[in-house]
Amino acid sequence: VTGFRLDPPFGRLIDRARPVTFRFEGRQRSGFAGDTIASALIADGQWLMARSFKYHRPRGPVTMTGYDANALVQVGNEPNVPADTHTIEDGPDVWPQNVAGSLDADRLRHLGLLSKFLPVGFYYRTFFRPRSAWRFWEPIIRRGGGLGRIDPTAPAEHGRYDKAYRFCDVAVIGGGPAGLSAALAAADAGAEVVLVERDPILGGSLNVRRFDAAGEEGTRKAAALIAAVTAHPAIHTMTATTCTGWFADHMLTLVQGDRYVKLRARRTIVATGAIGRSAVFRNNDLPGIVHGAAAQRLIRLWGVRPGSQAVVATCNGDGHGVALGLMDAGVTVAAVVELGLEVPPDPRRDAVRDGGMPVLRANGIVEARAAGNRIGGVVFDAGRPLAFDCDLLCLELGSTPAASLVASGGGTVAYSEAEHAMAVRALPDGMRVAGAVAGACDLETALAEGRVAGEGTAPPDGARNGPANHPWPLFPHPKGKEFVDLDEDLTVADIRNTVAEGFASIELAKRFSTVGMGPSQGRLSALNAVALAAQAAEAPLEGACAWTNRPPVSPEKLGLLAGRAFQPLRRTPMHHRHLEAGAMMMVAGAWLRPAYYGADGDTSIREEATAVRSGVGLIDVSTLGGIDIRGPDAAAFLNRLYTFAYAKQPVGRARYVLLLDETGYIVDDGVACRLADDHFYVTTTTGNSDSVYRAMLRWNAQWRLDVDIANVTAGFGGVNIAGPASRRVLARVTDLDLDAEAFPYLGVRQGTVAGIPCRVFRVGFVGELGYEVHMPASAGEALWDALLTAGAEDGIRPFGVEAQRLLRLEKGHIIIGQDTDGLTTPEEAQMAWAVARKKPFFVGGRSLDTHDRRGLERRLVGFALTDATPPHPAEGHLTLNGDTIMGHVTSVALSAAAGRVIGLAYVAPDLGEPGGRFIIKGPEGRRIEAEVVPLPFYDPDGARQEM
Amino acid sequence: VTPEDFPRRSPVYRRLVDAGATFVERYGAAAASTFPGDRSPPPPVGLADLSPLRRLGFKGRGAFAWLNAQGLAVPEANNRTARTGGILVLRLGDNEALVLDAVDTPDPRIESVMAAAAPAKVYPVPRADTHAWFLVTGPAAPELFATLCGVDLRPHRFDDGAIAQTSIARLPSVVAHDDRGGKPAYHVLADWASAHYLWDCLTEAMATFDGRLLGLADLAVAK
Repeated sequence: VTGFRLDPPFGRLIDRARPVTFRFEGRQRSGFAGDTIASALIADGQWLMARSFKYHRPRGPVTMTGYDANALVQVGNEPNVPADTHTIEDGPDVWPQNVAGSLDADRLRHLGLLSKFLPVGFYYRTFFRPRSAWRFWEPIIRRGGGLGRIDPTAPAEHGRYDKAYRFCDVAVIGGGPAGLSAALAAADAGAEVVLVERDPILGGSLNVRRFDAAGEEGTRKAAALIAAVTAHPAIHTMTATTCTGWFADHMLTLVQGDRYVKLRARRTIVATGAIGRSAVFRNNDLPGIVHGAAAQRLIRLWGVRPGSQAVVATCNGDGHGVALGLMDAGVTVAAVVELGLEVPPDPRRDAVRDGGMPVLRANGIVEARAAGNRIGGVVFDAGRPLAFDCDLLCLELGSTPAASLVASGGGTVAYSEAEHAMAVRALPDGMRVAGAVAGACDLETALAEGRVAGEGTAPPDGARNGPANHPWPLFPHPKGKEFVDLDEDLTVADIRNTVAEGFASIELAKRFSTVGMGPSQGRLSALNAVALAAQAAEAPLEGACAWTNRPPVSPEKLGLLAGRAFQPLRRTPMHHRHLEAGAMMMVAGAWLRPAYYGADGDTSIREEATAVRSGVGLIDVSTLGGIDIRGPDAAAFLNRLYTFAYAKQPVGRARYVLLLDETGYIVDDGVACRLADDHFYVTTTTGNSDSVYRAMLRWNAQWRLDVDIANVTAGFGGVNIAGPASRRVLARVTDLDLDAEAFPYLGVRQGTVAGIPCRVFRVGFVGELGYEVHMPASAGEALWDALLTAGAEDGIRPFGVEAQRLLRLEKGHIIIGQDTDGLTTPEEAQMAWAVARKKPFFVGGRSLDTHDRRGLERRLVGFALTDATPPHPAEGHLTLNGDTIMGHVTSVALSAAAGRVIGLAYVAPDLGEPGGRFIIKGPEGRRIEAEVVPLPFYDPDGARQEM
Repeated sequence: VTPEDFPRRSPVYRRLVDAGATFVERYGAAAASTFPGDRSPPPPVGLADLSPLRRLGFKGRGAFAWLNAQGLAVPEANNRTARTGGILVLRLGDNEALVLDAVDTPDPRIESVMAAAAPAKVYPVPRADTHAWFLVTGPAAPELFATLCGVDLRPHRFDDGAIAQTSIARLPSVVAHDDRGGKPAYHVLADWASAHYLWDCLTEAMATFDGRLLGLADLAVAK
């Protein structure tokens, strides 16, 4: 800690009992808890914090509010951290950005000498010819991009970001005098208020600005207002929180540390205050040239003496207030220079004179002079050069409203000749402004405006009595380097040249010159750029607007936008048993399913398939949708919804269901199990349970049949125990009679398995004797265990989705979504057998007539390769008739049971009969011959599944 | 008592075991009774798994009349709860209700409801298996929900007895405000198959509020 640190009461935000150390550019620095990186560095005498984007000029903070791009630093692996608002913590390595070599002696610091050869927009015209040149320039330009760096190879350092919702009647943005007053008035009127303040403490300008000569009024008013706000039960205060956007219906986005808050309000009051006006003069970018507010913030909030010898340039009483503050902090004030305007009588001005500080008049600023990498002096034009040595120049030349929320929310902010500033001209519906954001005003006006905005009553008329704005704080210099936009290193000449190039409109001027496109988004440059552009274009300044404002009004980290990753994923009741058995899990719809068990996929799949064909296997089918259809009209409902006939389906029997959309294309399939006259349990494919359920509700909203439709997908787990030994294994743990006659193929029974009440169906997706057992989800794991135990002596083996896909392919069963696309008709898929065309109505039925009239354009057929030599085709490969594309392969596998490579593919209808030959365009364009074969490939009589 | 002693198991029982829960038997399943560590005072926010407890749903045009006939009060309006003894009836729609057994002392009335044969126009739904059941308690509960849910669940906007059918961490959920001993408490019922996901979201969010897992014994003490 150095001699730049002030004693209390200065330094409201720091805790002197808690020293903090960190490293800046490799060197250890210290500060106190509550310090920002910038305040700690300035307390250590270091104003230089960054190098500028284009010319690598030395830069330091200008506002100490996070508004400018000259204090962005790299903290660890995080780039572009605003040093002036980022609170230091023990430990992190902080590095300046855009530095070639060292910050003090940047190797590119003399680039500015070449500025004549780097005019505005030069890169638009320079690097693209010849075309190959870009490859050379791109890496150089990207390296010089000016902002921080991320290390994509570094281990992910994910912070914990989350999001939250908040609700209130009135959102007040800004905790200064107007905001505090508005919050109190709104809460007193019965509203629930959320008060948002960017600083860690409430008070805003009351904490730093000197409203009176003694410097007591702000503190006194702040204490009273903050006490009342804090005590008010209806006001929720969010400090250290930035509002980044206002959206329709008063949805506001707030950044509170690593939390992104969506605030929903009924009314919004914007009381965001004002931003000091920057002056444009030669070398106005030197570290140590700051807005008056920045010096006051350093002194009052962080207890930092910002310099040894200061000059204040002003046009109003606030500048004298700044000088008084500097004097209190022990800074020698070489002069208070009143620029251009006559400063009206002000007690603060008298106090400055009484304090012995020279008060002088000047017409303008000629230039600032450097001493090393910091300001060393300033020269004014007072008819003659008026020069001062100083290491701090405070500018207090008026302000411009901090109205980004208004402008980006759809309001209008335009230049006012009367105010010499931007002014809010129109507001989005339901938004109010109060205090300095509505125009320069004195403290009483700010408080009164806040009050009426909070009450929702009409704003007061009359004089606002605010500090004067300098009408034209732009002082071009023959040698240039008068910066309009410090983010992008744009000077007066750059803006003038932009207009001379024909880009007179401010929107075009922005795009050509890049003014306002830097990290500060024009907060400090917009007003001067608009003024200069208007002057150069000889256009009126009255009513001129800056470029379009869009949210976010201040940067939001990508981590904030991403927040926590909410990605629901469903697990079956047996999920952990699969993991314990070494399953390779795959995502299927919203579910996780075992693809296969073991490390070697091909071997596992083959062995699992063999187990099912020769012994017994067990697969988890809990992911199938399950929908209970109950009521007197249950059968009629299914009859209308699905293609098959269900009216005469016996109780205790399962029947295939095929669902079409209204245009006659296949959308889902499953089985309907009739548990009672008025009760069907219908399954759907894994991915479609929700959409089929919704379709059912939608259709019955029209049909008004007397049924209840309940989606019980999650309520039932399911397994399929399949293979010649499945009956023997299941019999060991069930009270059901599994005899082939008592429980035939497509039979449906309800009974217990391992003491657990279950629904059991004999269905044959994989083509073997098998039982699908559906149990309450809570008992799924226990039932899985019981079946594996019961099957141990028969070598039961769990099998996964991949083996099931092979087994069903051998059996010629299609998978909806794999073997069908969104435009597959039942006829094309050879599923006309599942369509009861004589029914008076079913969904999609009428469209099938239309499809019939058009005729078939393709058919899904089973095929086998005539030569099984690898490489084999894959799913998605095209099928050709000569060189004409007919369709594609939808399923393909090397089948041990069939003894060859088999698959399903779309071909031309005339090639669809067994024996037809066609070509598959395989890997690397290889033409592979295939022959259409009858389906199924395996057990065509169904003897095995019906045994 | 361990969860694997019973065929019926909570979808998050492994999480409870990992957290060191002690279990008690409830209705043929193991419910967490308490967790290790200092259990007093009650935490700002607590999370309990009530999935082993009894619950069932009823749909159909005759459902409310039938529930009334079983001695259970059904709320007058949708998205409200009504209490009969320890049993809470959640009215989820014009023809749909969810019946939750008492958290503390089992209420025998639910057994008769479960055992009774539903007449025509009354369709029982196996909510004990379609939906996991969690209880979020404590003064910080509304703030916890604010990080996961876009509905304002603060007590003065979402009063005792209110129901929100909303999404929590993008998962469709039923939230019912049911204060315990005058302290905020919310039942959360959500997809059984996604219960582990929701549990993880809740516990992760809870950490920032000094939250704690609670068992049935902890709940009884906190009340």
